[in-house]
Amino acid sequence: MPTHSYVPHAPGYVDNEGPKIVTSRFGYEDSFTLERSQATGGYQALRTALDKTPAEIHSEVREATLLGRGGAGFPAGIKWGFLPPGKFPYYLVVNGDESEPGTYKDRLLMERDPHQLIEGCLITCYALGLQQCFLYVRGEMALAQERIAQALNEAYAEGYIGKNILGTEFSVDVVLTWGAGAYIVGEETALIESLEGNRGMPRLKPPYFPAAVGLYGQPTIVNNVETLSNVPWVTENGARQYKTYGSEKSPGTRMFAVSGHVKRPGVYEVEQGITTFRDLLYGDNFCQGIRDGHELKMFVPGGGSAPWFFEEQLDLPLEAGPVGAAGSMLGSGGIIVMDDTTDAVKAALRLVRFYARESCGKCTPCREGTTWEERVLQRILDGEGRPSDIEMLLDIADNISPGPYPVAADPAQDLDAIPFPPKQTTICPLGPSSVAPITSTIRRFRHEYEAKITKRDPIPVAAEKAVS
Amino acid sequence: MADIADYFRGFAVTFRKLFEDRVTGEYRGGRAKEGQPDDKRPKPERLHGRHVLNRYEDGMEKCIGCELCAGVCPANCIYVRGADNDPENPTSPGERFGFVYEINYLRCIHCDLCVEACPTQAITESKLFEFSFTNRSDAIYTKDELVVGDDGKPQQMPWEDWRDGEDQLTSGWMRATSSAGDHRYEGVVHWAGELGYGVRAPELGQSAEVASAPADGGEVE
Amino acid sequence: MSRADEAETVNVTVNGAEIEASPGELLIDACERAGAYIPRFCYHSRMKPVGMCRMCLVEVDTGRGAALQPSCMLPVSDGMTVETETDLTKKAQDGVLEFLLVNHPLDCPVCDKGGECPLQDQTVAFGPGESRFVEEKRHYEKPIAISDTVYLDRERCILCDRCTRFANDVAGDTLIHFMDRGNNTQVNTFPDEPFASYFSGNTVQICPVGALTAKPYRFKARPWDLEETISTAWTDSVGSRITVQSSRNEVLRLLGVDADSVNWGWLSDKERFAFEALNSEDRLGRPLVRDDDHQLVATGWGDALDRAVAALQGAAPERIAMIGGARLTNESQYAWAKLAKGVLRTDNVDSQLGDGLPVEAVLGLPRATIDDACRPGGTIILMGPDPKEELGALYLRLRHAVLEDGATLIEITPRAGGLTGLASHSLHPRPGELPALTAALVAAVNGEAVDTAGVGGGVIAAAAAALDGPVTVVLGRASLAETGESVADAAVNLSRLDDVSFLSALRRGNIHGALDAGLSPGLLPGRTTLSAGSERVGEVWPGLPESDGLDTAGILAASAEGDIDVLIVLGADPINDFVDHAAAVAGLEAAGTVIAVDLVRNDSIEAAAHIVFAAAGPTESSGTFTNLEGRVSVCEQKVTPPGTARPDWMLATELAHRLGADLGLDSPESIRAELVSVSPVHHNLIEEALAVGRIDGVLVEGNGDIAAPVSTTADVPSNDAYSLRLVSTRSMYDDGVALRHSASSRGLARGLDVRLSPTEFDKLGVKPGTIVKVESSCGQLLAPAFADSSLPAGSAHVPWSAAGSPAGSLIDAGAPFIDVRVERA
Repeated sequence: MPTHSYVPHAPGYVDNEGPKIVTSRFGYEDSFTLERSQATGGYQALRTALDKTPAEIHSEVREATLLGRGGAGFPAGIKWGFLPPGKFPYYLVVNGDESEPGTYKDRLLMERDPHQLIEGCLITCYALGLQQCFLYVRGEMALAQERIAQALNEAYAEGYIGKNILGTEFSVDVVLTWGAGAYIVGEETALIESLEGNRGMPRLKPPYFPAAVGLYGQPTIVNNVETLSNVPWVTENGARQYKTYGSEKSPGTRMFAVSGHVKRPGVYEVEQGITTFRDLLYGDNFCQGIRDGHELKMFVPGGGSAPWFFEEQLDLPLEAGPVGAAGSMLGSGGIIVMDDTTDAVKAALRLVRFYARESCGKCTPCREGTTWEERVLQRILDGEGRPSDIEMLLDIADNISPGPYPVAADPAQDLDAIPFPPKQTTICPLGPSSVAPITSTIRRFRHEYEAKITKRDPIPVAAEKAVS
Repeated sequence: MADIADYFRGFAVTFRKLFEDRVTGEYRGGRAKEGQPDDKRPKPERLHGRHVLNRYEDGMEKCIGCELCAGVCPANCIYVRGADNDPENPTSPGERFGFVYEINYLRCIHCDLCVEACPTQAITESKLFEFSFTNRSDAIYTKDELVVGDDGKPQQMPWEDWRDGEDQLTSGWMRATSSAGDHRYEGVVHWAGELGYGVRAPELGQSAEVASAPADGGEVE
Repeated sequence: MSRADEAETVNVTVNGAEIEASPGELLIDACERAGAYIPRFCYHSRMKPVGMCRMCLVEVDTGRGAALQPSCMLPVSDGMTVETETDLTKKAQDGVLEFLLVNHPLDCPVCDKGGECPLQDQTVAFGPGESRFVEEKRHYEKPIAISDTVYLDRERCILCDRCTRFANDVAGDTLIHFMDRGNNTQVNTFPDEPFASYFSGNTVQICPVGALTAKPYRFKARPWDLEETISTAWTDSVGSRITVQSSRNEVLRLLGVDADSVNWGWLSDKERFAFEALNSEDRLGRPLVRDDDHQLVATGWGDALDRAVAALQGAAPERIAMIGGARLTNESQYAWAKLAKGVLRTDNVDSQLGDGLPVEAVLGLPRATIDDACRPGGTIILMGPDPKEELGALYLRLRHAVLEDGATLIEITPRAGGLTGLASHSLHPRPGELPALTAALVAAVNGEAVDTAGVGGGVIAAAAAALDGPVTVVLGRASLAETGESVADAAVNLSRLDDVSFLSALRRGNIHGALDAGLSPGLLPGRTTLSAGSERVGEVWPGLPESDGLDTAGILAASAEGDIDVLIVLGADPINDFVDHAAAVAGLEAAGTVIAVDLVRNDSIEAAAHIVFAAAGPTESSGTFTNLEGRVSVCEQKVTPPGTARPDWMLATELAHRLGADLGLDSPESIRAELVSVSPVHHNLIEEALAVGRIDGVLVEGNGDIAAPVSTTADVPSNDAYSLRLVSTRSMYDDGVALRHSASSRGLARGLDVRLSPTEFDKLGVKPGTIVKVESSCGQLLAPAFADSSLPAGSAHVPWSAAGSPAGSLIDAGAPFIDVRVERA
């Protein structure tokens, strides 16, 4: 019998009212055990799935419009359809390298309900005819690794994984791997490189999807933890039931990790498309508003890579389309709220520094540009800034992400939103992500930058000669 | 008849000059006997004379053996070879030093391009041009002869005629690029004063202030 | 199916002009052909694109709107529209260059790359005029020695991935890689593991900045000092094309030239740094003679030549012998062949030092080129030396063929080597039983496979089943403790395969030129025999030998018996290089007069030479070189020889002149003209062809009059239970004369050891590294012992090392196998 370490759950989940699709067991102290899982309907969906044909499961998921929860929001059912026929073996890779700043929903899913994730993997493997699944968990998530390992052992012992699952012809192996703490490995091709034992650097595109050429050169489906955690519910309750939640384009629920200056930060499962940012941040059932005595200054709507939103965008629904049109993205579902005590330049620096440290070093604009941005911001904060630094920052940003960068509308300045996504001179979006805090803050809070700039620009030599 | 008149008219110029002030001066090449005059006329400020290889204040040579002077030399009179500095006992700062440095004064046209090309202000030109070597090997100055002595002054070769002040006012140094990555220096005339030897003041349009001010990387007034 | 798939070419619009490109061609190449050069740092045409530097971003429209795309990663497609000079492109190029320069130290004045630096050049051509970066730059310890020959300066590195890709993808030595992240990303070696690759010099050549520099060239000159000429590398028989760069009459650097049919721009470090030996202090600048005190003293040419003539005039033709000659150019080889065989009329001439193959096996079988061997879908049978150790550039080509072009490699070697990891089948027969194994392999193609020569029948059957498409046998002498005849027999067996051809892997310099020039017993110039070619050659030559002569082993044996009056050693060091050390010493010491023609004093000269002619080296005289395919390429003179050293062909004509004969050869061109006139196979070796084939050379094809070899050897008895059968293979750094005189490579010579098959090692009962005694019927040595699982049971391996020839002391020339006993010391 496996022995469970009853390390108390890490904080983060707030037990609120509302539909629970993936967080249904989060309230239990022993939610991660096989006993609790089975007692609350765990692995029931697997049995249901095994009674159906793989094609039925696939069409159910496609029908449910289960959107990818990793950041790009690509429908899982359609992604699964990209597997080229006859190029066996296929692999399933679970992207558990959640390291987007402000995002911690996958960690909770892995820590609190690993069996739900494993069940989702198994159903996906069954639906697509895969026999090997790799669970890639972020290096720092020790508790998640431990609990998934325990859960895998339990599931193997119980016959849910391995040869002839539940007495059928269906066999799957699930392999747990963990990273070494590199943010870039959250990018799916870099994750595959890391899985193969190489340095985690994004691969060249094309091919654009690992579904064509992925792990070990084979067609590979890479899905996010939350996406797969939805699969058992969809299988068990069907697409029609799933679509009763959320909006038409974005059905179901979605987990949002709210952090920052709200009264009740935490992870919430909310209905997509119906709930607005205002509901989430101010609703009594959710974050209950900005901390007392302060007002919202800005918030990051979808993980550190997303351009920032402000008061005016609060009434946008939590849905990819409208948020993208408004100049940002829901991304990984991490919302960082900042109130009026926040220094915009410092906040931008904090995020830019993250990207500078985490750049994999492959593409020149990202490797050199992010660090340069960081150092200029630091210099401005150190009181060594020059007036030309602001334009220079925007120009460096333009060299990483050419053209207008997505940004929220600013009615006060009569400026329109520039829709997502940005263009990029790099292979992956890490470099352009570092631009988001800079363009967002300079556009809205240029006066804060200017207030910090104390030095003068050097007089251009040519101009000086012209004067004398 | 007219021919003869023209003939004497020519002589008229000669006779007239006999009573004007002399333009030439008495010059004995430093070997004047007592009582005899040994004057040299002052040289123009921008005169290019024989080269000097400078040192830093700590005695290290400025030359890094990069051969840019040799590369730019239109007369092909400079021969340089670099070598690895001994890390324990370096000749110059950094990895490389001028291992061989020779200037052939039978070829040098004193154009000063080597001085402009030098990235470390190692080579400058003095005002000295009176040398009378009697063999080829004397005419080829080696590094030992070109480099300044321990007193920071050019060494005087036996065949050179130095006078007081002629080691002053060596040529200036202009940046073709901004080697330190600071674009403010681009195109600025920069005088090798603080570390080099024998410098003349900047002239009109050559701003010494701009060059010397912004060491802190911040303000330029 | 789209139109592009059907079409042979696709149409691409580059800056408004429509050009044709082949499908799959990368946009960056197509644009360059169209005259629109796109700047790049990481892209290298001989390596896979990686898209690292982002310098080659151009505006591409494939119908979905123009966007910046890296042209090094984008294959052309029909209807693609490319703009390489728009404002957007210029801004991107400016931006990337500014980024690259942000942390670049700009120490160009002290950097060896300064003046020929792509970063400098492209900054001038495409970059911004100023930097806006005012922060402090990234700092690392300035250059760190990552190997004996290569320095790494991480401050200068722009992280283009070229060196790491080369080491990993091309050379297969993953010894340098990226470390750390973000702005601190750096290239470095693994801890305590130097960049000990045989091909490390290539990374220096392809580095687009001065991050990797080579010790032999460090601070020696600036690019604008250098003058260069195209030539051919001389240390092995691949004939890699090089440029020789010199300044002030001193060769300072060799760079690989991208010859499509030969070396693709790559060189082994041995080829690249071999010039150091030519500049060494021990170079011979004057002729030497042995004085009354038996010391070699310098003398004038008249004296040296007169003494040689005096010795030669008194000797009967059959008492004159000449060994060596693989160092020489084709022209010098022809001149010496004409002198030895035509004037002196001796056939005791052999350019192979007992470590080669019978000439029939080299010249008499259907021959293949490197391109033939590397063709996609073909099969390569490696039955010869480890190319990684002996023929570096060939190794890189074969490696590429297997990895990238789908060629199949079957290895029939005495033990595992550099290509073993790529071989689909590795057969390691017992020493001496190569013919039996190949016979079994050929038999297995159409029938049963049985256990043979210690290799299982199943393995043989699997290898036979893998023989697919055209087969190229890379044929050479893998083990010096077996005979060349045995390899030739094995080749005869393989020649029965369908669609088979042979690529010679004789390693020594211009050995194939020497064979083509007739420097072998029974041979005349132009791949013909003494009997078949006598009429044609006899018309031009003053005379011919009366009968077939001796090979090197025979010459040395005859000399030891007192039957050789004059022994000419033509650029060879038999004491350290002949397979049988004792026979070489005895033969040299007993010869009446030894005339050596060489570049540096070697052990054979010290021990036995009476007259030493100082010869001009490969960069000091003009001529041509024949590589292992029979490809002839030029070696041009770049510098003058030291002292009064003279080109080898000139020495032959001078000697002939003093012997009263006129060779009628007064220049390399005239020698080539005569060679073409006497040799039908050299018919295309005309000056016009050499000019056209300036990079790729001129292929001399055909077998001439040389017949295929016939089987000669008998069955090999198995060794008794107490003895082991010896395997001796060469390594890249074998401590030979050239290596010993190369300052930077001298320390790379590998040590002596003995390797045993694991069962034998266990029987010995010692710890790895324990000194053991290896004893054969002719000698013994002491060396540390290790196990090697790739060795066949009952065999022992001793590497060939030139210094003192320890392995040679165990080997008896001509014995079909060598049995040794290995005991605790």
